[in-house]
Amino acid sequence: NISTEQRKAESSDEQEDFLRERHVRFFQRCLQVLPERYAPYETSRLTIVFFALSGLDVLDALDVVDKPSLIEWIYSLQVLPTDDKSNLSRCGFRGSSHIGVPYNSSKGPGAPHTYDSGHVAMTYTGLACLIILGDDLSRVCREACLAGLRALQLEDGSFYAVPEGSENDMRFVYCAACICFMLDDWSGMDRQRAIDYIRRSTSYDSGIGQGAGLESHGGSTFCAVASLCMMGNLQEVFSERELKRIRRWCILRQQNGFHGRPNKPVDTCYSFWVGATLELLDVFQYTNFEKNRSYILSTQDRLVGGFAKWPDSHPDPLHTYFGICGLSLMGEAELQKVHPALNISVRAFESLRRLHEAWRQKST
Amino acid sequence: MSSVEEISNPVVENLEEDGLEEENTVEEAEMEYEGPVKGGYIFYRDRKEWADLEPVPQDDGPNPVVKIAYSEKFTDVFDMFRALLKNDEKSERAFALTAEAIELNAANYTVWHYRRVLLQALDKDLREEMKYITAIIEDQPKNYQVWHHRRMVVEWLNDPSEELQFVAEILSQDAKNYHAWQHRQWVMQEYKLWDGELEYVEELLEEDVRNNSAWNQRHFVISHTSGYSAILEREVQYTLKQIKKAPHNESAWNYLNGILQDGGLSSYPGLLEQVTELQDTCSSPYLTAFLVDLYEDALETNSSSYDQQETLNKALELCKLLAEEKDTIRREYWNYVSRSLQNTYGSGDPVSSSSDPPPPSSSQQPDTEPSDP
Repeated sequence: NISTEQRKAESSDEQEDFLRERHVRFFQRCLQVLPERYAPYETSRLTIVFFALSGLDVLDALDVVDKPSLIEWIYSLQVLPTDDKSNLSRCGFRGSSHIGVPYNSSKGPGAPHTYDSGHVAMTYTGLACLIILGDDLSRVCREACLAGLRALQLEDGSFYAVPEGSENDMRFVYCAACICFMLDDWSGMDRQRAIDYIRRSTSYDSGIGQGAGLESHGGSTFCAVASLCMMGNLQEVFSERELKRIRRWCILRQQNGFHGRPNKPVDTCYSFWVGATLELLDVFQYTNFEKNRSYILSTQDRLVGGFAKWPDSHPDPLHTYFGICGLSLMGEAELQKVHPALNISVRAFESLRRLHEAWRQKST
Repeated sequence: MSSVEEISNPVVENLEEDGLEEENTVEEAEMEYEGPVKGGYIFYRDRKEWADLEPVPQDDGPNPVVKIAYSEKFTDVFDMFRALLKNDEKSERAFALTAEAIELNAANYTVWHYRRVLLQALDKDLREEMKYITAIIEDQPKNYQVWHHRRMVVEWLNDPSEELQFVAEILSQDAKNYHAWQHRQWVMQEYKLWDGELEYVEELLEEDVRNNSAWNQRHFVISHTSGYSAILEREVQYTLKQIKKAPHNESAWNYLNGILQDGGLSSYPGLLEQVTELQDTCSSPYLTAFLVDLYEDALETNSSSYDQQETLNKALELCKLLAEEKDTIRREYWNYVSRSLQNTYGSGDPVSSSSDPPPPSSSQQPDTEPSDP
């Protein structure tokens, strides 16, 4: 029977208070300028924008951003069909302007460039950002994005990231599923092949790896389960017995926070990857919230804001975003709820649903 | 793209505290050329041999977001790279520039793609390229692009002869590097290089019996060679031996459970006895959970070798042991397992969760207690 003030004082002593304002400022700084050591992120700057915007959305702090400017910048990353439509299989969104194509915020056709093509993770995060910012996707060339997506799927059902070729694994299956889900159009992929890939990636221990034969992993397990949920096929693809075994594999990942593989150290981001998977499987409620929350908050940077993978480590946008989402799954006060499959706020998800309703009505 | 899982993440600190980092690489001074010289280094835009190319800057429009503060040197190299790309130039100078660009940012997949285009167009020495990529991977073993590049070169050469040794070298520095294992599995499957791998796995397990990647590889090798039919007992005994050495090892228990799934845990002769024997000296939450799974299998298959009621009771007792003593972090989960077993195999009224109202479920699935058949 302690008072609210006493509880607040205690939590700040144990360093278990969530420093909302600091994290808002952390994301605001991310959206401005990053130091040169962020060079490896040039081709994926759009994903950093996603972490910041979706993070601010979950923090209920989107009012701090200039939405119209951001929307323009995101649209400038769309690889548009050229006049002769010869590049349709390369359409989608870029991660940044690194190729050197002239600025074009999706007003008019694309400029032909031999090396200009979309990247599946950027198309996914680009669309997600637009939705979070309240855009109606009216400047998205949906058919071109879907054609670009089809061009990325391999015979085994998995996806490349780019049409020029790249590695292929469960991450890009997830990105593809998100794109189809957001565009409300599954013609972007052969669903059955993707499902087969997911089944073949299930390990002897019932976790799911990045591909067939590979070690089961919290990230790929999320990607697989979330993809099946978005397809609406989870319970058709896995029997109840198989689902039980996946639940067991996932729930064993909790040590205090969560790790991604047996006998590996815990890492803040798995509080989301594994937590969200458990939520999709209906058993997140049976995890230990106190230990999970304590761990996540132990990785909070009290000075600079943000979260890191481990305590006393440097925070970064990815771990900050997933730390916050991990807390949101547990119903942390001041945080918006996150849709565990699509990984955007429930509020943004609902605005997407309304958009889908409008599209469906228009087509009838 | 940077991984959605483990990547080495640089810092975002308070920008007022942080100055720009600059790399001071001293190139050979080219004294006869005019233009800004910095410790002998000349920007590409000032080099005579590059004068025909107009550098192409990045264009983020009026309101750039997540702008990275590049040094002048960095910008200069990439502005020239963009110029080459625009013209699709296929030349030695272009090839040389890709190496400079890679050194500054080895995660730029466009640079790697362009380098591959040049490797073919200029008919470059792929053996030399193997040496190059070997060095880069040693330096940055968690980068996706470098492993993909190596795979392409190996494919072009159709020569996997260095691969297993190379991957072993990388694994000797980090025995769980997912990229390394992925490459290893690709090589083995593509070129049918299965010999000696089981021995290699056993070496790794000697070094660290808790290496989950090594256990996974064990399963990979055996499934693709002999299969489990003829050697199942050997594997069961091997695994039990490893468990005795390190009882609290989820990987070994997962392996044991995994290889016995097809036949069914409750059907394997002597297994219940062997595992029960371990209870005193090798107790762990994994052992207890294994027994729960074994009993559940007996119930599910309605095995005549087991008394159904007694088996259910034992399973419920073990769930309680796990919830209260052996695996308390998962207390609620083991109680849920208990309730599910009771509802599925019990003969009384269905059990529901505690009297507190259940938390609202935000998941896609319709219900929260999927226990009915």
